[in-house]
Amino acid sequence: MARTTPTFTPIGKYALAFLISLALMVGDLSYGTFSPLRGFFKASSLYSQLIVSNLLNSVEHTIASFQDKKSLLRSNEMLRTELLQMQTKDFLKRQSDSISNDLIQLEGEFQDLIKKIDVKIFKIASFGLKNYLCCSAHELYLLNPQKLEIGQNLPVSNGKSFIGQTAGKNFSLIKVIMLSDIDHVLPVKSKNLFCNARGAGKPLFISCITDDHEDLNGNKVNDPIFTSGLGGIFPRDVLVGTISSITELSLERHEIMIKLAANPLNENYLGILVGS
Amino acid sequence: MKLTDHLIIFFTILGGFWLDASISLLTIPFNVEPCIGLLVFCYWVFAIPEKLHSSSAFMYGLLVDLFFGQVIGLHMLFFIATSYIIHVYVFRFRLFSYLQLTIFFAAVCAFFLACKYLILSPVNYSYSLLILSFFVNALTWLAVYFLMRSFRRKFFIT
Repeated sequence: MARTTPTFTPIGKYALAFLISLALMVGDLSYGTFSPLRGFFKASSLYSQLIVSNLLNSVEHTIASFQDKKSLLRSNEMLRTELLQMQTKDFLKRQSDSISNDLIQLEGEFQDLIKKIDVKIFKIASFGLKNYLCCSAHELYLLNPQKLEIGQNLPVSNGKSFIGQTAGKNFSLIKVIMLSDIDHVLPVKSKNLFCNARGAGKPLFISCITDDHEDLNGNKVNDPIFTSGLGGIFPRDVLVGTISSITELSLERHEIMIKLAANPLNENYLGILVGS
Repeated sequence: MKLTDHLIIFFTILGGFWLDASISLLTIPFNVEPCIGLLVFCYWVFAIPEKLHSSSAFMYGLLVDLFFGQVIGLHMLFFIATSYIIHVYVFRFRLFSYLQLTIFFAAVCAFFLACKYLILSPVNYSYSLLILSFFVNALTWLAVYFLMRSFRRKFFIT
């Protein structure tokens, strides 16, 4: 039963608080007004998690140093990490070489620009797994302990294909927006089809809509899709994924669902093509 | 109410959201999304309505949005609206059976999830997720209710 007598609940304060919250939400949704503030809090919370996990790791390592089996496992993990790093570096090197060759063919005097292309490898600090699995915002943070100057809109790869692009930084964390994020648009091509593929908001899927039946140009399910390079961020002719389905939306509109080749969940390290 | 009481309440709510984030990774593939954080907040308003008013709901919502939200304002809106409804009907709720309370709070969670998906991720909106989450959150409410009650009594937050 009630411990206190019934009291009147004035609606005024609640209505005011409700309206303020609504205004904040609309402002943030439409214009991203508070995204720096959210980034700051997210980065702070990530840092505290990292500090705690580092402390735990160092304790664990101290204990493991007394156990042969654990030290073997650790060295195995280190070798695996090194292999992953090398794989990513190799892939990105090849991409940067390809860009370099294109530029050389176009104009020899662009040599200075080519020298600026570099590959940086970063460890994943945090993966927004909950949102990745359920919702449309797909992003992750890379750890940048050396505080290297990494700009926005640089391609990010997992060693086999591209998985997204950089979207800013908070402290020494680099924010990466993935290809499957609903706000990400990637210009792609297949045969003679060129389209802007938008993230589907579902893991590993992007989709593009063609307004003309002719645009399909005989593309069918399982056909490979490549970057077209038209956005100026990603180099062209890199495999993005394969067509998983083609749905007729109306008489002349088709939605092409593309399953991405690169699964970010399988990687610990990602590479950023700097200066591309 | 003392600041330490507010801090304790806030940390339990934050703990609920942290549990949500951790458990969701296992449950989302089965089309279920728990709302432990929201249920913990509902419990506190239900248990001590005379201490938690619009300003508390506003502040807790803001902090939850900053730490866990994709957008500022969503949790604030729901915390304020839920808080108002609980305040208006709090003494009627005291007469409700556990089953009636469970249905009410599970429905609050289902409504929150529906709005969240419609606002933030319409492509992933699904009725099966809402229905399954309703049942899971109904069970979660019972667990939250009894756990939080014993916690409240232990820490003398009255």
